[in-house]
Amino acid sequence: MTYKVTEEGNISTVFLNGEIDMDITDKAKEVILPLVESGKEVHLNLKDVSYMDSSGISVLIESHQKALEKNTKVIVKEVSKSVLKVIMMAKLEQILNLE
Amino acid sequence: MNLTETKDFPVNTSSLKEVRTFSRETFEKINLSQDLKDELVLAIAEAAQNIVKHGYKGVEETTDRMEIKISLKNGQLEIGFFDKGKAVVPENVQHRQLDDIKPGGLGTFFIKQIMDAAVFKKDQKGWVNHLILTKKI
Repeated sequence: MTYKVTEEGNISTVFLNGEIDMDITDKAKEVILPLVESGKEVHLNLKDVSYMDSSGISVLIESHQKALEKNTKVIVKEVSKSVLKVIMMAKLEQILNLE
Repeated sequence: MNLTETKDFPVNTSSLKEVRTFSRETFEKINLSQDLKDELVLAIAEAAQNIVKHGYKGVEETTDRMEIKISLKNGQLEIGFFDKGKAVVPENVQHRQLDDIKPGGLGTFFIKQIMDAAVFKKDQKGWVNHLILTKKI
């Protein structure tokens, strides 16, 4: 997985790239959670994420829940078809903020 | 078409990508829809992840290997997983309730969603656990 973070006002956008599995979830959390904890609105752009397993889904849930605690939000954007399928399999499409 | 492909992998998280590559390459040899191939790769990756995550919980490093065997015979797909981790008590293998939203506990749910059956066999032959996933395709 590679990533890029852009900042605009109070919004941080994390562009993730590649495959997200258990091997890289710690790295993904290290990138995303501090941004959420700082109170920023975080956009996760998954356009270039070609694969995500249950570990990746856990990162999305943890980020979403941390955002609720911090009175901010995580928006999951441009989800690729294959990742959307996994999100829907977990029945999270109504829970996560998808755009 | 009948087919059997077997490969072993080091038991660590870095192997999961290799597991997916092996699975994808095997399913390329079978006439399946891309959606089904993706689902099967996910199920295999989740089962392999369970070995690393739960079978070797608390183990910092190991030289153990796990073996995955993908077989297709008469339209029945059978995927075997062999490992030497902690013995699995099948009754304890449960996924979390979907409305209990929290990180973790989804891997087994995905496997059950995708496959027709997931059964631990007692015919390990030198292994500790032998999980078989099956699906009619």
